[in-house]
Parts: sequence; structure tokens; C-alpha cells
Amino acid sequence: MSGSIYLDYAATTPMDPRVAERMAACLTRDGLFANPASAHGPGRKARAAVEAARAEIAALVNATPQEIVFTSGATESDNLAIKGLARFERQRGWHIVTSRIEHKAVLDACKQLEKEGFEITWLKPDAQGLIQPDAVRAALRPDTVLVSIMQANNEIGTVNDVAAIGAMLQGHSARFHVDAAQSAGKLPIDLKQLNVDLMSFSGHKVYGPKGVGALYVRKEPRVNLEPLIHGGGHERGLRSGTLATHQIVGMGEAFRLARESLAEEAARLTALRERLWRGLQQIEGVLLNGHPGQRLPGILNLSFPRVEGESLLYACEPLAVSSGSACNSAEQEPSYVLRALGRDDQLAGASLRFSLGRYTTEAEVDQAIEIVTREYTRLSALAA
Amino acid sequence: MSIGTTEYSATVYEHFRAPRNVGAFPAGTLGVIEGQAGSRRQGREIILALRLDGARVAECRYRVYGCPATVALCSVLSERILGSTLEHLRAPMGLALAEELELPPAKRAAALLLEDALGAALARYNMTSRRQTA
Repeated sequence: MSGSIYLDYAATTPMDPRVAERMAACLTRDGLFANPASAHGPGRKARAAVEAARAEIAALVNATPQEIVFTSGATESDNLAIKGLARFERQRGWHIVTSRIEHKAVLDACKQLEKEGFEITWLKPDAQGLIQPDAVRAALRPDTVLVSIMQANNEIGTVNDVAAIGAMLQGHSARFHVDAAQSAGKLPIDLKQLNVDLMSFSGHKVYGPKGVGALYVRKEPRVNLEPLIHGGGHERGLRSGTLATHQIVGMGEAFRLARESLAEEAARLTALRERLWRGLQQIEGVLLNGHPGQRLPGILNLSFPRVEGESLLYACEPLAVSSGSACNSAEQEPSYVLRALGRDDQLAGASLRFSLGRYTTEAEVDQAIEIVTREYTRLSALAA
Repeated sequence: MSIGTTEYSATVYEHFRAPRNVGAFPAGTLGVIEGQAGSRRQGREIILALRLDGARVAECRYRVYGCPATVALCSVLSERILGSTLEHLRAPMGLALAEELELPPAKRAAALLLEDALGAALARYNMTSRRQTA
């Protein structure tokens, strides 16, 4: 990545070369190219590779392989979980609880259900971006069929207490979906200990390929979904379509590698994130968005006073980071997550999300501190 | 949350990275007229100051809060305007500058804001000169 310092790992990650190697072995005539649904020898070999990958996904989150359904990515997983569950359960109830700071895949799936007649309660986060279990409890109704709350927020990195929310839901008939696209591979997840019915995963957030994800669908007690895609009955009828062996094998390898280094990598990234924060804290008035402690190791989201968001982003251009600025996004509005936290338009717009990952070095963090400090000083002087 | 999607021309980038003539004239400088437009709350603010030598612009300074297009427009204008007569400045020029800088349509508002700041400065000049005539 010549010329730029990549600090946007929450948007996507570069594929680990070990993953790419495994994937390449699935593509050509001498590899695992056959259809995993075929009964012949090459098909059985491909199927074995798919099942080994499924076991790796399950192992990272302590689920059973039979509970993992492969999809095209976390967006599809969220859609299958939310729309699939709600449509299956509509005889039982029409109410769903979610939060205003979910990923768009969850928000838009819920909005679609709203058009179909479901009632959605959109919970507001607290000032630090957390969804409190009590807020979920207060929103529950006898006809609530689904609660969907993300484990870690993609913009601010704040980590919700899904264990507490799940425990609070014990005894209620509502199912619990958790979007874990940002947290899987970054935080320990033990689905045997959590009262979670559905959990979404992404391949490319964990140094795996884009275009593949998975949904955990609990077996005991059984969770039923109406599929979104029909044709062939693959994945227990929940997601038809020929399995993309290379994508699945890549995701499996990525999850295996994440499991191997999870604790060590979390400690390393936390130290780098704190170094970045210590450096940028020197800027007067800079604000940390999200919870100071209950957060992902690799995400730091800051708002900068007295400068305009798009200018800040462009001025810091050697850095590949994300911004909450409206001018840059296809959506002509500042970050809805930061607005929900109570930041005004200026602070929501002049925000940068730094997300660190496997290949981030201390030297890159130090360069980022230098660039942001220099450019912030330059831009605020223009307006002085 | 997104990374930048606006594509700017090389000229915009160049002026944004090294804007010319930023600042204000020292208090008490003779022949200075100032015009302000926009607000930080609205996302763009320009405070434009012209030092006149007779009826011509001798120097231009500005302070700017806004996107790269807003900064680049101010910078280009501050060079382009030197030697212009006040009469010449009354003709609208914002959209022509926007076109010259190849700004996307969504950024035309920045060019119009610059025109507003210039218009406010000229209005100030008119007021002052009327007072002096009276």
C-alpha cells in the first residue's frame, strides 16, 4: 500500500497471505473446484473442505458446526436473521426491538419490515454509545419476536454487554440476534455461555475474503427462519446456492488464524490504540466518541473542534481512515451514530475513525499522530 | 461512515494544501473593506477582506471554514482579484470559478457563498462611500 498508512481495518482488512494461499488451492482443475453438493470423489473432497471451514467458524465462537450457515457476507446474514425470523414468527407477534446505531444492514432490514407492517422500537444509546440491558427490558412487549443489538459498534467500537442483554431475555419468547461483524475474532465469544439465538459474521473483517459471511442459527432451542433465497435447499434450506468453496475455505482459515492469535493481538492493538489516543489527546478540545473502557481493541473515534470534517479528512490524506463527514458520504448527513450520541453536526462531521489491525505498526501510529496534529493546526489556523 | 468520495481537480488540491493570502489585515489598515457570509453552523464561513488602492483591489485576505472546495475558491479568488476594479467585481463570478476548478455540482454552494462574501464587502464599500459623500 504505497504512500498511504492504512488505518481503516474496521471497513475491511487485507487478506492474510495464508488465507489467499488456501483459497487459491480451491480454484483450478488440480484443486477443490468441484461442486461440494456432488456425490462423486472431487465433490466429496470439496465438501470436506467446506465442512472443515464450518468447524473453524464454529470453533471461534464455541458453537457446533451444524449451527453455522454460510452467506455472502454479514449484510446477508443480518437480513436473513432479521427478515427470516420476523417473517417466520409473524403469527406470534409483530414487534421488534433494535437500536439507532446498528449497522445499516440491520437498520434497513428493520425498515423493510416496518413497511411490511412490523412495529420497530429504535432504542437510543446512552452518551457513551452503549445500549443498556434495562433499555431493552423496558421496550419488550408480549408480542416482541426479535431483539437485534450489535456486539460492537463499527464506528465507535463500543462493546455492548450482550451477555447481560441475553440473560435478561431468558424467559421471554423474543429471539436475540447479535451482529458480530466487528467483534468476531477481536473479542472472545462463547455462544454456549450466551443466550443468543442468531449471530452474524463477516469474512473480510477478519483478514478473510470479501463476499462471504456466516450466520449462527441456534439449534437448541431451535430457531426457525424463512429463507430469503430459494433454489436447491443448500445450507439446511436456509440459503440456497452452490457453495463457494474457495470463499468458505478462506473464511475458515481466517477464523482459525484469528482464534490462534486473539488474546495476543487484542493486547497489542489495545496498546497501539492507547498510544494513538495519548498522542492525539494533546490537541485541545479533542473528544473521544464512545465508551473509554468498554470498547474494541482496534477502534478509536475522535471528534475535532473548530475544523470542518471533509477538509480534515482530505488534509490527512496520507492516512486511509474513515470520517463522519457528510460531504464525503453518499448520504448527505453526518454520522447518524455520532448524532445519536448527542454530538452536534460540526463534531459529528469533524470526526475520524482510526481502526488498527494485524499489520499496524508503532511507527505508523506515530506518523498518524504527527499528520493529524499538523493538519489540524493548519486547518484551524485558516478559520481563526 | 465513509471515506471521501468527492473527486477534486489537481488545482483544488493544490490550493487546498497551500492556500494563498490567508489571514486578515492588521487593525487600522487604511482602505480595507470586509464581507462575511455563511456560518460554521451551516458548515461554511468566509470572511473576505480587500485592501483598496483607489477603486482597485491592491490586496486580498480571507479566513475560511469549510470543505476543500471552499478553501480553494478563496485562495484562487485572492490571487485573481488583484488589480480588479470594483465595477468588475460586481459581475457574478462564483459559478465561473466553480467551473474552472471543475467542482462537482454539489459544491456550487461554496462558490455562491464566496460571491455572497464579496457582495457583502462591496455593500460595505457602498455604505462607506455614501457616508463620505454625504
